[in-house]
Amino acid sequence: MTMNYYVRKAAFYLAALWAAVTLNFVIPRMLPGNPVDILMAKLQQRGGTVDPAARQAYETLLGTGGRDSVFHEYVTYLGNLLRGELGVSVSAFPAKVSDVIAGSLPWTIVLVGLSTLLSFLFGVGLGAVVGWKRGTWLDSLVPATTVLSAVPYFWLALILVALLSTGLGWFPLSGGYDVVLDPGWSAEFIGSAIYHGILPALTIVISSIGGWLLGMRNMMVSAMSEDYVLTARAKGLRDSRIMIRYAARNAVLPSVAGFAISLGFVVSGSIVTELVFSYPGIGSKLLQAVQNNDYALMQGIFLVITIAVLGANLVVDLLYGLIDARTRDRSAVA
Amino acid sequence: MTNLSPLTEVTPEVPRSRNRWRGLLPRWSPRLGAGLGLAGAIVLFGLIGPLLTSDPATIRDIGLTPPSGEHVLGTTVTGQDILAQLALSTRGSLQIGLLVGIMATLLSGVFGIAGAYAGGVVDEVFSLFSNVMLVIPGLPLVIVIAGFVPPDQRGTATISLVLAITGWAAAARVLRAQTLSLRNRDYVAAARVSGEKTWRVICVEILPNLLPILASQFVFAVVLAILSEAGLSFLGLGAANSSTLGTMLYYAQNGFALQREAWWWFVPPGLIIALFGGALALINFSIDEIINPKLRDRARRKRDVVAVLPETAAAEQDAVLTVKNLNVVYQADTPVHAVKDVSLTLRRGEILGLAGESGCGKTTLAYAINRLHRPPAEVTSGSVVFHDRDGEDIDVLALAPEELRAFRWVKLSMVFQGAMNSLNPVTPVRAQLQDVLRTHRSDMSTSDREQQCVEVFRLVGIDPERLGSYPHELSGGMRQRVMIATALLLDPQVMIMDEPTTALDVLVQREILNEIRRLRDELSFAVVFITHDLPLLLELSDRIAVMRDGEVIEYSTAEDLYLRPQHPYTRQLLASFPSLTGERGALIP
Repeated sequence: MTMNYYVRKAAFYLAALWAAVTLNFVIPRMLPGNPVDILMAKLQQRGGTVDPAARQAYETLLGTGGRDSVFHEYVTYLGNLLRGELGVSVSAFPAKVSDVIAGSLPWTIVLVGLSTLLSFLFGVGLGAVVGWKRGTWLDSLVPATTVLSAVPYFWLALILVALLSTGLGWFPLSGGYDVVLDPGWSAEFIGSAIYHGILPALTIVISSIGGWLLGMRNMMVSAMSEDYVLTARAKGLRDSRIMIRYAARNAVLPSVAGFAISLGFVVSGSIVTELVFSYPGIGSKLLQAVQNNDYALMQGIFLVITIAVLGANLVVDLLYGLIDARTRDRSAVA
Repeated sequence: MTNLSPLTEVTPEVPRSRNRWRGLLPRWSPRLGAGLGLAGAIVLFGLIGPLLTSDPATIRDIGLTPPSGEHVLGTTVTGQDILAQLALSTRGSLQIGLLVGIMATLLSGVFGIAGAYAGGVVDEVFSLFSNVMLVIPGLPLVIVIAGFVPPDQRGTATISLVLAITGWAAAARVLRAQTLSLRNRDYVAAARVSGEKTWRVICVEILPNLLPILASQFVFAVVLAILSEAGLSFLGLGAANSSTLGTMLYYAQNGFALQREAWWWFVPPGLIIALFGGALALINFSIDEIINPKLRDRARRKRDVVAVLPETAAAEQDAVLTVKNLNVVYQADTPVHAVKDVSLTLRRGEILGLAGESGCGKTTLAYAINRLHRPPAEVTSGSVVFHDRDGEDIDVLALAPEELRAFRWVKLSMVFQGAMNSLNPVTPVRAQLQDVLRTHRSDMSTSDREQQCVEVFRLVGIDPERLGSYPHELSGGMRQRVMIATALLLDPQVMIMDEPTTALDVLVQREILNEIRRLRDELSFAVVFITHDLPLLLELSDRIAVMRDGEVIEYSTAEDLYLRPQHPYTRQLLASFPSLTGERGALIP
């Protein structure tokens, strides 16, 4: 039975991965426009060789206009993906799409990963306290943070820049590191990267913390009327222990289960945030690709983002199996 | 913006009766008023504003003038009036929000409600589809789609459709969970069995109960759509020729409003989005309270006002617990006097039965003895005195919080009704036993603690191996034994048992009762045994108190109560239990 949960989860994420990959294949073929010609023209502008091989590579990705059977294209496309061949980027010509992504992905993963983790920990922690101290002044935190989470990420970013960078000069306006430094593992460079990352991270944390807080607070309120909390009180346990081990331990489960949805919002929000800060991450690259009609890069980034999100969700789901023993034994988990 | 999504999924309690339409309306609260007022004002601004302001496209040679009398919100870099732009953009954003909200709610209804109602393979497929859509990040997908569509073909309709397609999945999941629970309700089953048409069952029996959730998800979809559209337009990927708050911000960004510190250009559009989102969230709070009544605001806790009676008459010989003139009142709009002037004495090692129908106040009384009652319940007067083994008298109602904590379980432990819910579902039972020892016997060594847990498990007849089990791995009877074992851990002098066997089948019930009696004989703790089952009490108890409407109406030995019931209500209770042998009120062998 124990395997069952993990097998089901693995199967689900494989299905989701297949759906994303297929979506990526179908979208350019369904929508109007002639992306291959645009790409070839761009390639020519940049002085790229317009050899038949390049054209063929793009056609596999974006459709041949009916010359080959769709099925044949699909198989070739899957084969290319498996080999990690995502084509050549025209906006960063002659770099390969995979190289462009490899260069920008770490920035986003560190920024979004860390800020999501911080936001989750603070939000859930505060939510637990607010729920536990229900009926006190802390209740007024709830509407306040909800308004914060209705603020568009990029607008908050603009305001933060206006106040803290332009206004007070505490933080740099944009970028991921001081450009006079050479990227590398030197203390100076890492320090500069952290310094540049504070404002984007603050944007993401402020915008997403309200959701965690409210969800946790509501679950905490529900959990506190459960019998096991009453039993814990009858047992004469200390309040802190009841709050953490009994109420919060149960109340956090839906927040973890709902992680997938929240992560989607955070990723979406951080893409636009990266633009405001000209952050060297994958969101900025996606926009650069869109503005330059760099379809190959666009698709590559979409795939990578999706895979990263699926991977994060898989990890959270596996974690959920660890923190709630019931899931592992239940056969019907959607 | 996770606030209104399936995090509130847990146990949304839908009004039981299908005709309780009033229960579906939000209760009026300042929050709801503020939310409705703010949202209404913004909608009005979007509707009427564009009619009252000048043409937002008019270009003047007064670029970037700060707010002044003529231009209340200043001008853009090309001298356009920002207030006029703001009004038009608000209208544009609201239109898209409404359009997407409706489409996304329809989609989530089809995939969530219809799927769950149909059940079987359809449900599986729909549910898988929703979940896949849910984990594929929305905005990147929208960006890719918008990137492929040439700008001249990117109309409002296209953008709205794309936003709806990428934004319905979370709501579908919530609706599915709720529909699944609804379709198993009696009245829905009845309607189906009686041959009502499917669409009729869904529309008449199920949809009304889903309305609060649908409303909440719709509101959420509108906010999400406005936010996503703003993001998309800010990236320059919005609908062509549209003016929304997002496009305003796009132009502000590209006109270097930030660098030129033209705050009047980039602050208002975002503020409108934030305020509108906040207003809808406030409205959703009120809707959430219908879905989950536990979230309703509660009055702050008042301190118990206890008039402790001076120790007059000496406690009864051999008593371990004396309750005197105890009164408990639920302080609602019309206060409910749940326990009226109850006086009881529990002797050492005695089993005292507390009988009465549900709602008579017996559980409230039991909780008040240990001060476990919660607001709005309040002890208004009376005393509870515990007479310790070493001769000390403890006034339970006067204990300071920390003293009360140290008193609980050490002197007086409890076994609650429904052991499934009394055990923490996410930790093994060992941890829940150990917790007690770690708190009250902090000087105990780890191995002694383990030894003690093993010992109480043996006492109640469970294999100590099961200490590592999670509650859901145990049967109902075993869980109740675990609770009894936990109650025995500290060798308490009193054990209060609230309907400990009600949820169990008759055979297991019998085993547990025998167990309780045996343990009492061995360990000589006193028991307050609460149940509505009078015949069971007659057999088990030494003395019995019969409660009705918060009062103890009869209080005597089991034998007297059975042979010579004084109160008519007791006689009535006794008569209402036919025995297996046909003899009225006989003890079950």
